Amino acid sequence: MSAVDDKVTDLTQNPADDAGESPHPPSESEETTGGSILLFFILGLAASMVIGWVIFPKLLYSEKKQPINFNHALHVSEVDDECESCHFFREDGSFSGIPKNEQCIDCHEEVNGESEDEAIFVEEYIAKDREVPWLVYSRQPDCVFFSHSAHVNGADMECAECHGHIGESEKSRVYEENRISGYSRDIWGKNIAGFKRNSWDRMKMDDCAECHAEADGHDSSVQTQKDACFVCHK
Amino acid sequence: MKQAQKEHTTKRYGMVIDLDKCTGCGSCMVACMSENNVPFKTDESNKLDSITWMQVYKLTNGKSYPNTEICYLPRPCQHCAGKHEGHSPCVSVCPATATDYSKETGIVSQIYTRCFGCRYCMGACPYHARYFNWWDPVWPEGMEKYLSPDVSPRMRGIVEKCSFCFHRYQLARNKVYLEGRKDLDEDEYQTACTQACPAGAIKFGDLYNPEHEVHRIAQPDMQHGGRPQNPHVFRLLERLGTNTKVYYMSERRWVRKAGDNYLPGEFENPGAVAGSH
Amino acid sequence: MDDASIWSQNWAWTPVPADGAVTYENSTCTLCPGGCGITVRKVEGRAVKIEGTKGHPVNDGGICILGLSGLQLLYGPTRVASPLKRIGERGDGKWQKITWDQAISEVSAKLAEVRAAGNSHALGAITGPDRGTVSGLLERFLLVYGSANFVRTPTMMDNFEHVLYLTQGVEATAGFDIENADLVLSFGSGIIEGWGSPVRMFKANARLVENGADVFQIESRLSNTAAKSKHWVPINPGTEADLALGLAHIIIGKGLFDYNFVSTHAHGFEAFKQLVQTRYTPAVVSEKTGVAPGKIEEMAVKFARAAKPLAICGRGKGSAPGGLKEFLAVHMLNALAGSVNRQGGVLQMPPPDYIRWTEPVTDELAAEGLRKGRLDGAGSDQFPSSRHLLNRFIAAAAEDATAAPQVLLVAGANPYYTFPGTQVVKKAFDNIPYIVSFSSYMDETAMNADIILPNHVNLERYEDVPVIAGLSKPVVGLSKPVVAPQLNTRHIGDTIIRIAKAMGGHIAGAFEWDDYQACLEETLSDKWDALSGSCIWVDDAYAPPAPDQAFNTYSSKFEFNAGQTQKALNADNPLPEGNTAEYTLTLIPFDAMRLANGYIGNPPFMTKIVADTVMKRKDGFIEINPVTAGKLGVKQGQRVTLSTPVGEAKVRVNIFEGIKPDIVAIPRGLGHTAYDEYLAGKGVNVNELLGTVEDPASGHDAAWGIRAKLTTA
Repeated sequence: MSAVDDKVTDLTQNPADDAGESPHPPSESEETTGGSILLFFILGLAASMVIGWVIFPKLLYSEKKQPINFNHALHVSEVDDECESCHFFREDGSFSGIPKNEQCIDCHEEVNGESEDEAIFVEEYIAKDREVPWLVYSRQPDCVFFSHSAHVNGADMECAECHGHIGESEKSRVYEENRISGYSRDIWGKNIAGFKRNSWDRMKMDDCAECHAEADGHDSSVQTQKDACFVCHK
Repeated sequence: MKQAQKEHTTKRYGMVIDLDKCTGCGSCMVACMSENNVPFKTDESNKLDSITWMQVYKLTNGKSYPNTEICYLPRPCQHCAGKHEGHSPCVSVCPATATDYSKETGIVSQIYTRCFGCRYCMGACPYHARYFNWWDPVWPEGMEKYLSPDVSPRMRGIVEKCSFCFHRYQLARNKVYLEGRKDLDEDEYQTACTQACPAGAIKFGDLYNPEHEVHRIAQPDMQHGGRPQNPHVFRLLERLGTNTKVYYMSERRWVRKAGDNYLPGEFENPGAVAGSH
Repeated sequence: MDDASIWSQNWAWTPVPADGAVTYENSTCTLCPGGCGITVRKVEGRAVKIEGTKGHPVNDGGICILGLSGLQLLYGPTRVASPLKRIGERGDGKWQKITWDQAISEVSAKLAEVRAAGNSHALGAITGPDRGTVSGLLERFLLVYGSANFVRTPTMMDNFEHVLYLTQGVEATAGFDIENADLVLSFGSGIIEGWGSPVRMFKANARLVENGADVFQIESRLSNTAAKSKHWVPINPGTEADLALGLAHIIIGKGLFDYNFVSTHAHGFEAFKQLVQTRYTPAVVSEKTGVAPGKIEEMAVKFARAAKPLAICGRGKGSAPGGLKEFLAVHMLNALAGSVNRQGGVLQMPPPDYIRWTEPVTDELAAEGLRKGRLDGAGSDQFPSSRHLLNRFIAAAAEDATAAPQVLLVAGANPYYTFPGTQVVKKAFDNIPYIVSFSSYMDETAMNADIILPNHVNLERYEDVPVIAGLSKPVVGLSKPVVAPQLNTRHIGDTIIRIAKAMGGHIAGAFEWDDYQACLEETLSDKWDALSGSCIWVDDAYAPPAPDQAFNTYSSKFEFNAGQTQKALNADNPLPEGNTAEYTLTLIPFDAMRLANGYIGNPPFMTKIVADTVMKRKDGFIEINPVTAGKLGVKQGQRVTLSTPVGEAKVRVNIFEGIKPDIVAIPRGLGHTAYDEYLAGKGVNVNELLGTVEDPASGHDAAWGIRAKLTTA
């Protein structure tokens, strides 16, 4: 749009010369205009790419830090039962999710390491009997029903298939919260264009559906011939 | 998913309600509202906008004093299968794929976030089992503490209805998966109304499973649209072909007659008009 | 786009209930005297659902709508959030928040002042049930303080106890083995309307249906119970005693009574026979009751021939005591059938005896106060075997300001709303200068009190619950705190102990426990362990004593004709107030399952499911037969004025085939002026239109209705 505007301006600057000098050959004029269109188009494209790929995501997501840096790798090396040591199934088949102080207190009643984060955790949370307000990367809207039991116990899936290799991380990454929807960028996916390299790159409904479509016996919906809506919605 | 989920057999969850035991006390209605986060307003006396997934109707035999008789009839969603599985009146008209029929359980679902409130389904439902949220729900301050996380609170502008407490099925399956079992036991999945009914009038289970009480009582003829073979059992508007999964039972003829719109003499002598159906 | 749609599907104002670990906790429901076991589902400490406890001997998994709505009471807006002191006029609703220390010192100072002036007898207390430790503490407080004026809210149980005392010479409560009966004659008892222990009765009713038992429901209105029983026998209200005695006439005349029981274990039969044979012939009874002679004979013969017949009475939920004559007459039927203390019959149940506190030491002031006796005359020469007469207590207070209590404590009761004859209660309250309410909720009585010391609600407190609701086994439940107290409330037991301690002397000396829980644990002693785990203790081994050991009368036999029995049976039926010339109709109040009408008002869920022919917006309805409606020229839904000798109300008309002509009926439980916007101001409180009629034999309120008229102006 701006390229065209410039061209219009160019033409209106010339009328004074028209009387004395012969008019520019039309071909020359068109060549210049054509070149500037291309140039402006490229500039414009670049600008919109920058806006779309860099500025927009910055605007769309606010960056929040976890209250404490959590070292998954360290914890995994200390426990016997990998992820399930802390993220376990309750007797009724429900999933415990993020541990509460009650679980941590066995080891962390007092500071037992040298990490500053642990000290904060013990002093600010354990001692004051406050739960840590973790920001949950994988938090889904209230309308979603997700059964860890069905996936982990029923379909023998690995935690990493959805959560990635979070167990190897040494500190908590920045939590990027979508300013419109209020959910983590992990749901929409890191890649703004929606490219997905790993199964854990994104956690949107389509990603659930993709996998459900591949597995056998998931066609209970009369409406869609896929899995029934109620399987994942409440 | 690396491997297919463990197989489980197809179910047809349904109910049998003994109208002779039902006392009209309303426990099923309140248990349902409490289980499913159904809201309430300061005035609920306009029954047209009062949301009751389970609704107890009062039937009378129409006779005058002192021969008047009353019967109460609890009406949850009937979870129609229709002429063929999934041809439920509501599912077939939903333009938003917000309501669906599960071939696995036979349950008609309603996805609130999918619904855009056109209310075609309400028009299609012959049982008035569907309700529209004319307002956003409001709980008095502090009372939102009792809301259950198992059922998503609804917003204004959408339709809701009885789900046969499907979340209870989901939660029960969590345990089944954890314990590596194949199937749910009959008592592991019961609706809130069934559980609460003080008279034991409501039975809930898998109509396909000959060991389940609902099957034993209703004796559904699955070859013929689930028609009950127990002569005291009937379904509402049987002849519409909605093939519902809620069966009713009564020893009283007038009550069974009230289950459908019969021409004069038709109920007493069904042979005379059988040809038309 | 996507984000916007997710946003639009999850409005910020739609609550998102937090998920977490689910736990279940057992307790005993105390919202009514039924004693059901409840299991509360909690998510991370929040109570999210109340369910019936599976396998519980009272309710086995079932639950009623009031119990189900308990969380709306716990988390609801009607609760009193802290101690309150009245600053405006009574009933204005202007309160000042005070601390517990202030509240305790204020009440104890007031009590000390009255006592020091030698007026200790002028302390009165009104409670709900009177069997557990909480009412025990209150009664003990009155005793050491020096007042005999402890009054429990009467129910049908008062009359059953009275009848057992007169005929069997025992201090016992009545149990009914309904599940095992094969024929039930119900004289207006709301088997499925909340009579006795509601959920147990629903289950018993289902058993009766399964067993094909004959149930005759005798009442003038097609209640739910009448609708569900095999036979509905409409009767002129107030003539139930006549019908029962008429049935006795036939049973005796045909020699169908249990000869063994009557000849071996009963005394005074000849005199009773004489009475029914001369005064209750079928013709006379049919004329009075409006029941056809053939029907009377059919019932009598079926009842007598049944293997395990049972006759019960107590109208509706049994929340009104009723006439002693009726209860005696019905009990005589059970005796004639031999259905006393046997399977499927009426059983004498030992009153709970686990409260064995040491006799308190009292001082001279207390002794003097106690010598002045009771304001209601219970236990006096006039009413020797009545224990609590709330109607007389209130009437006495209303009549004479000098005789009225100077301080009234109200706990677990809402007389300002529930007492028939609201005008009288208002007058009585006006005559009582200082009223203390212990209510958890802002009910009518609390609204009109001077100070409120709010109790925890049932889900926040410990309390023993001896179940006196017609069960056939002795049962004690335990109510346990399921959640932490939500507001600045205190257990009433603690409040009483603290007031006593603040008063010092012998009064403090009678309350040596540190707090209520210590008192409860000590009192329950060996039962505590069992109760604190399962919340229920049942004496499964209990069987009523054999007939030769059961009766503690002078004759050691069942007394058909003891002095007071004779007096009661010979008395005329209590008549409703009002002249028949002006008031051509009769108004009867009735109990409906969907309306809580005792101390606790309807929670929002219950009000939500009230039919629109009972209540529409703010209007309450009367039920009226179409014939009567035609005669009066009123139509369905029409607004009319209903007047009785004591008051009038604007109501709307609901034409109902199931009610006897010339009778109008209004359910109890509407027309609240207190509580919240979900309940207040809807419908009519039938008690405002009613009065009391004193039973000549027991002194209780025996009214079952009142004369009334309709005007269309």
